[in-house]
Amino acid sequence: MKKLSVDDLSAMRKELKKKKGSWIRVGCSTCGIAAGAKEVFDTLKEEIQKRDLKSLEVKQCGCIGMCYAEPLVEVMIEGMPKVFYGKVDKDVALKIVEKHVCGKMLLNDRIYDAKRSR
Amino acid sequence: MEKRVFIKDTNHVGKKERTRDFYTAFLAQLRERKLENDVQLIRVADIGAYNQGFVVHIYPDDFLYSNVEMQDIPRMIEESILGGKKIDDLVCHHISKQFRIVLRNCGVIDPRNIDEYIVHDGYQAIEKILSGYTPEKVLEELKTSGLRGRGGAGYPTWLKWQFTRNVPSDQKYVICNGDEGDPGAYMDRSVLEGDPHSVIEGMMIAGYVIGATKGYFYIRAEYPLAIERVKNAISQAYQYGLLGENILGTDFRFDLEIRLGAGAFVCGEETALIASIEGKRGYPRPRPPYPSVKGLWDKPTVINNVETLANIPVVILQGGAWFSNIGTGASKGTKVFALTGKVKNSGLVEVPMGTTLREIVYDIGGGSASQAKVKAIQTGGPSGGVIPEDFLDTPVSYESLQKLGSIMGSGGMIVMDANDCMVDIAKFYLRFCVDESCGKCTPCRVGGTQMLNLLERASEGTGKREDIEKLKKISLAMQRASLCGLGQTAPNPVLSTLRYFEDEYLAHIEEKKCPACRCGALFRYSIIQEKCKNCGLCAKNCPAGAILGDRESGYTLDQEKCTRCGRCFEVCRLGAIFRG
Ligand SMILES: Cc1cc2nc3c(=O)[nH]c(=O)nc-3n(C[C@H](O)[C@H](O)[C@H](O)COP(=O)(O)O)c2cc1C
Repeated sequence: MKKLSVDDLSAMRKELKKKKGSWIRVGCSTCGIAAGAKEVFDTLKEEIQKRDLKSLEVKQCGCIGMCYAEPLVEVMIEGMPKVFYGKVDKDVALKIVEKHVCGKMLLNDRIYDAKRSR
Repeated sequence: MEKRVFIKDTNHVGKKERTRDFYTAFLAQLRERKLENDVQLIRVADIGAYNQGFVVHIYPDDFLYSNVEMQDIPRMIEESILGGKKIDDLVCHHISKQFRIVLRNCGVIDPRNIDEYIVHDGYQAIEKILSGYTPEKVLEELKTSGLRGRGGAGYPTWLKWQFTRNVPSDQKYVICNGDEGDPGAYMDRSVLEGDPHSVIEGMMIAGYVIGATKGYFYIRAEYPLAIERVKNAISQAYQYGLLGENILGTDFRFDLEIRLGAGAFVCGEETALIASIEGKRGYPRPRPPYPSVKGLWDKPTVINNVETLANIPVVILQGGAWFSNIGTGASKGTKVFALTGKVKNSGLVEVPMGTTLREIVYDIGGGSASQAKVKAIQTGGPSGGVIPEDFLDTPVSYESLQKLGSIMGSGGMIVMDANDCMVDIAKFYLRFCVDESCGKCTPCRVGGTQMLNLLERASEGTGKREDIEKLKKISLAMQRASLCGLGQTAPNPVLSTLRYFEDEYLAHIEEKKCPACRCGALFRYSIIQEKCKNCGLCAKNCPAGAILGDRESGYTLDQEKCTRCGRCFEVCRLGAIFRG
C-alpha cells in the first residue's frame, strides 16, 4: 500500500462514502462475545451465504452500550427502519434472516430501543 | 409496509396480558380501516422510555408517544398514521438524553478496518491540522472547547499540552492511559475495542502540538481484545502512512507502541505508570516535577486518558466553540459512564455534562432492577463516594459531584438499593485500596489497614462509638500525607457513607444491627413456624445443609451451619423465613 498524502486521504474518504446498501452488524466487543456474539455472527454469515444474498453485508462492530441486551444485532435493510435486536441467539439470528431480511417484516418482542436506533 | 408502529408497555414488565390486549385492540382497529397490509404493528422489548405506560413509536414520521390509553388508538391512526400529524398531548418527554461524541463510532464501525474509521470522518482532524494548523491554533481550539481530562482529576487538557510544549527538549512523549483499574468501569476498554483509531488520532494530534515523535499505549493485560484491536489499528495506520515518517506527505513524524500493564490499580497513576513503562516497579513518586516537565525517561511527557484522547479529533473537526456549547459551567462536552449495579439497563451511557443523575439512572437506566427503591449511587470507584437518592437531581459536573463528597472519577456509576449496606460498601472499596496500595508511603499502607480493621469491627458487632471519630481522624491523615492519589482518596468512600448514612454506622456499632441485612454477624435467618407449610423448598436450596427436618416433622434452621447467603429467604413463597 502506498503511503497516503493529504489529497489521497480526502479522495479516498470521498470514494468510500459513496458506498451504500443493506447491512447487518453484530456487536463483537468483550461484552458481546461473552454473551455469545461470535456464534450469532457465524450463523448470520452462513445463512446469508446459503440464501445467496450477495448485496447484504454482515459486519462486526464494537459495543453500542446496551450491554444488558447483548448479543446485539443491528439490521439496516433499505426502505425499512434500522433496528437493534437484543439477546439474539442462533434461532433469533435465523429468524432475522428469514422474516426481516427476506420477508421485510420486523420481529416481535426482540427489538431494543427502536427510538435510539434510527 | 409503509408504516411501522412500535409498542411497549413500559410499566408492567412481565404482564403480557396488558400488552396483548392493547396489541389486539390496535390491530383490530387497523383491520377495520383495512390498513393491516400497510402498517406493521410490532411489540418491542425496549423502547428507550421507562415507567410511562404504553409507549408508541410511529415510523417513519418519528412520533414518540407515552402514557397512551386504549381510547387514544383511533386518533393515533387517523391523525398520525394516516394524517402524518403529531399529537402534542401524547408526546413523550422523558427520553434518553444520550449524546455521543466519544462513543460516536462504537458499535457503528468495524474497529478492525481502518477504512470504516476513515469513512466516518476519521483522520480528517489530523488531515486538517497538517494542512495548515499551527500547534498554537490547535491549543487555541482546545482552550475554547474547555475539554478537561476524563481520567479523574479533570485537568484542562490544553494547559497540560501547553506546559509540555513549552519545555525545551530533544525528545518528548505522548502516553495514552488505558489502565482503567476502577472496579466496575469499562468505558476505556469499550473505546479501545470499538474505535481504536480515534484514540490513535488523538495521540497524533498531541504529538504534533507538543513536538513529540513517539507515543505509548499503556493497556492492562486483562484487556486482550483491546490490545489486539489497538495492535491491528496501529499496523493499519502504518500501512497507510498515517504513522511513521512523513505523515500525509508532510515532515510530521509519529511512532506508536503498546506497553502492557500487569493490572495494578496504582499503575493508573501517572508517575507509577511511567515507572512501569520504564521497566521499573510501579511506584508513584512525589510531584512536582510533573510529567509535563520530567516524564518518561525524564523527558517532557503528556499523559492522557483514553476518553480524553477520543474527544480530540471531534474538537478539531467541529471546533472548540461547538464543543463548549455542550455541557455546563466549567464542565464541557460529554461524559461516558459505565452504569451498573441494581439498575435495569446496565451498560455504557454517554450524556452531556449537566445531565442530572436522575436522568441517567431513570430515563436511561430504567430505574431500579428490583422492587426495592434506589438508595444511592456510587461514582468515582474507590476514589469516589456515594450520593444518596435525595441528591439525584444534581447535574453532573466535576464540581457538583465533588461538592457532594464524591468525584466524577473515570466514569464508574454503581446503583445501590435498600439491600445494600453502606458499611459493607465502604469496606469493599477500602479493602480494594488496601490490597492495591503499593506500600511505599506509610499513611496509605498503615492508615488504610487501620481503617479497614475498624470497619471490620463494626460489621462484626464489636465496634465502639469512638471508632467513628478514629475513622475520620485517620482519613484526614491519609488525605493530607499520602504520596499519591490512591492514598489521598482512599478514605472517600468511608467519609461519604459516614456523611450521609451515619445512622447505619451507629446501628452497627450501638444496636449491633445491620439494617440492610448484609453483615452476616448482625442478623440471622429463622423459620416462622406459623407460616411454614413444610414444603421443603428452603431445605432443598440451602447450599450449607443448615435447614434440618423433613416434610412430616417440619423444618428448623441450624444457626451454626447457616452462612447467611439468603437463598432460603429468596425461594420461600410463603414469607416464612424471618430475616433480621
Ligand atoms: C490510584 C490512581 C489510579 C488512576 N488510574 C487511572 C486510570 O486507570 N486511567 C486514567 O486515565 N487515569 C488514572 N489516574 C489518573 C492519572 O494519574 C492521570 O491523572 C490521568 O491519566 C491524566 O489524564 P487526563 O488528564 O486525560 O485525565 C489514576 C490516578 C490515581 C491516583
